[in-house]
Amino acid sequence: MKQILLITDGCSNVGASPILAAAHALQEGITVNVAGVVDYGTIGELGGLEIAEIAKAGGGISRIVGTRQLAQTMQMMTRKTVVQTIQQAVNKELKEILGHDSLEELPPSQRSKVVTVVDELTETTPLQVALLIDASASMKPKLAAVEDAIRDLMLSLQARMGTSELAVFHYPSRGSSEDAVLDLNWTSDLSSLRSLFQRIQMKGATPTGPAILKVIDFFRYGTLDGHQSWRQNAEEGEGMLGDYVV
Amino acid sequence: MTTSSNPAYPAGTIITGKWRKSRFVIRRVLGQGANGIVYLVQKAGYRGLYALKMGYDTLDLQSEINVLTSLQSQRKSQDLLKENVKSPFLLEVDDFKDRNKDIPFYVMRYIEGSALHLFIRKRGSEWIGLTGLRLLEKLRGLHQMGFVFGDLKPENVLVSEYGRVELIDYGGVSTIGRSVKQFTEWYDRGYWNAGSRTGDEAYDLFAFAILMIQLLDEQALKEAAKQQLPQTRNTAELLSLIQRKTSLKPYSSWLRKAVLGEFANSQQALMMWKEQIYAPAIVGKLPGKTPRWLKSAFAFSIVILCFAVCLAFFL
Repeated sequence: MKQILLITDGCSNVGASPILAAAHALQEGITVNVAGVVDYGTIGELGGLEIAEIAKAGGGISRIVGTRQLAQTMQMMTRKTVVQTIQQAVNKELKEILGHDSLEELPPSQRSKVVTVVDELTETTPLQVALLIDASASMKPKLAAVEDAIRDLMLSLQARMGTSELAVFHYPSRGSSEDAVLDLNWTSDLSSLRSLFQRIQMKGATPTGPAILKVIDFFRYGTLDGHQSWRQNAEEGEGMLGDYVV
Repeated sequence: MTTSSNPAYPAGTIITGKWRKSRFVIRRVLGQGANGIVYLVQKAGYRGLYALKMGYDTLDLQSEINVLTSLQSQRKSQDLLKENVKSPFLLEVDDFKDRNKDIPFYVMRYIEGSALHLFIRKRGSEWIGLTGLRLLEKLRGLHQMGFVFGDLKPENVLVSEYGRVELIDYGGVSTIGRSVKQFTEWYDRGYWNAGSRTGDEAYDLFAFAILMIQLLDEQALKEAAKQQLPQTRNTAELLSLIQRKTSLKPYSSWLRKAVLGEFANSQQALMMWKEQIYAPAIVGKLPGKTPRWLKSAFAFSIVILCFAVCLAFFL
């Protein structure tokens, strides 16, 4: 099971639409959750709307929280999305076997077994969560809290019986390219999470869409450079796309 | 996806089950948990009062019901052995058809009482030893059935008159060895960087220790939690607190072991708690150390006696 967890504090302003990018992610089987972090004032109507839209397009959940509740919220969103994804799969099976659309339509006595299966899968399914962190200038005072929340999430994931891995990205990058930068490759080791963001230099722009696309590529190829070669291949022949379905 | 902002139903609302058609009349709200609202209800046509929990999410609530059912069946077989059959814990499971959607609920036994911290505030900290003991017994029972409670906090511990203790809100219960589903940061072992979030007996005992420290000296615990940065927060601060504060002294060796995760199981923890709370009382009643003034007074009286005897002998 694959998830992207976007942590941001405002509107995207550069590049492709993040809502379209999230829809692409869902198409690839990656759920997108969004945490909007606001400490003082509000996130703005536009920002709030965009956050909700990204999560909707990405099949996930969105929440707007202060830094104090961030850790708890990230943990909750990740867990809920895992349950939700499994429930969707189980519901599909239910429909085929029993003709019921959902768990809610089953009588309580029959629900218990289904839920036992969902609980079991929630605990054991392998899980990969890519955290994508908005490192635009306004996020700077919140990064310490974000890092703590990531550590906390790792701790929760470690307790699962199934394998769980985290990767951490931030955007925009310092260089000319405006896509995401990999801070931490897939890991399930808590100690590797120390001082993630010390080297980050903040920039003003917020290219959320392109960054999400970059992370989708990372899921596909396990490397950030994969994107370029994929583009070239795609230009050579349209049929090539089919080879890359994960 | 349901949100947790569902407003509570007012008193007098009649809840009719979709499947079993039982009717319950809402009296008032008893409390609000992480995954549902609990009401005090009366079964229509009967006098008995029950607690009815409406869940925000069918799956979450069913997961909780599964735990309760499993506990109940295990309890029943134990009760048959002991020949004391209590009133059933879980009475009914059903859905309530509201205007736009079905809300899952279950009905359970209603227990009158107040939350642990309120009870102690009202009755005094002398009650901590006994309520703590009864709470540990409850936890041991749960552990012996293969579960950990998870979200242990004062709000989830109900104390009725004369210190009888019940755990409420089983939404955070998970099987031993699985990840802890639900927790509250203060009481969470992970929050203090003191270990994993895998459910084991020591996880509940850690939460119990924090709970006791809170009851005995809330201010000190607050300071300990505040003092450090999240990434450097550790148990050293807790341990020094346990050693330093006189209010924690009677329980210090127990608390220390629980914080360090040194108990092999909750049975051992329970035995030590018992020793700890009963030891001082016995020592206090039996003559302990004889005070020095008494000894010297005794010696002095012997001298006077000798003197008197001598005097009587010579005269």
